Amino acid sequence: MLRRNAVYLLVGLCFGFLLTASGLSRYDVIHRMLRFEDWDPYLIMALSVATALPLLWLLQRIGWVTPLGGRLSLAYRGTERRQVYGGAVFGVGWAITGACPGTVSAMIGGGSVLGLAVLCGIILGIRAFEATEETQAERAAAAAQRGAALSSAPALSPRRR
Amino acid sequence: MVGSLMPWWLAGPLFGLTVVSLYALANKHLGVSGGYRQLVLLARGRPMPEPWRLWFLGSLLAGAAVAAVVFGSPQLGLSYGVLGHKLNLGALVPLLVLGGAAIGYGACWARGCTSGNGLTGCSTRSPGSFLATTTFFAVAVGTTGLIRLLSGGAL
Repeated sequence: MLRRNAVYLLVGLCFGFLLTASGLSRYDVIHRMLRFEDWDPYLIMALSVATALPLLWLLQRIGWVTPLGGRLSLAYRGTERRQVYGGAVFGVGWAITGACPGTVSAMIGGGSVLGLAVLCGIILGIRAFEATEETQAERAAAAAQRGAALSSAPALSPRRR
Repeated sequence: MVGSLMPWWLAGPLFGLTVVSLYALANKHLGVSGGYRQLVLLARGRPMPEPWRLWFLGSLLAGAAVAAVVFGSPQLGLSYGVLGHKLNLGALVPLLVLGGAAIGYGACWARGCTSGNGLTGCSTRSPGSFLATTTFFAVAVGTTGLIRLLSGGAL
């Protein structure tokens, strides 16, 4: 357990260090990237994937057993509509703030007060999403219950409006 | 210390190695927005499915603090790059909260953010992550262009 937490701590330290060291946690850098005036962030992300993808593929192929988490199993996510909708909403926020959850954390770590404003928004957004999800789940459960009641005793349970 | 940032050809592969390290050592999918989701669940008194993400998130802040000393701090205090020069605080703060809300809502909906989908999901060859990444890049570029147009080139 202790060794596991040490891994999370070390990788987190490196990731946070890189976010600031590379300049990705600056509004100006991301804003210039989105205006195609600075290509460095695109190159950073492309090189990151170009490094990690073949290495992870290789580890998966040789059946790598991780020292702390059993046999390596890479998360596979198929395509869903929600990734397009969510990605679109995320993209709007990214363009407005020039920040994402990682870079805003790096900003705050570096002493940014306005980064906290973005973070408050992120927390509110996550809470709002959970509320939406819970309402949908409740509606689905209620609909299923109504459906079951109707099919089991159609004559005895008149449809309520 | 502007101009002394780590070059892209070094930062890129190092980012990739953090993604590989977390998978190779602990079999975990690197991502940041999931950490904030745990925080929201914790605040609501709900069980956290992935409490380890809080360790990662906390040390991310510490790592960024170290880098801020070496490379200079991004947006120290109340500064916010060119956006901070062009808007006063009364307009800037609500805009940042609103933008943040879109980031949080969108990241949950898309099952991840720039790190979980962009860096890690694309590296695990997930079509869904690739779809989300392409979408948020395209929409962010489009939105930036729209903001520029509507503000008459000011923003």
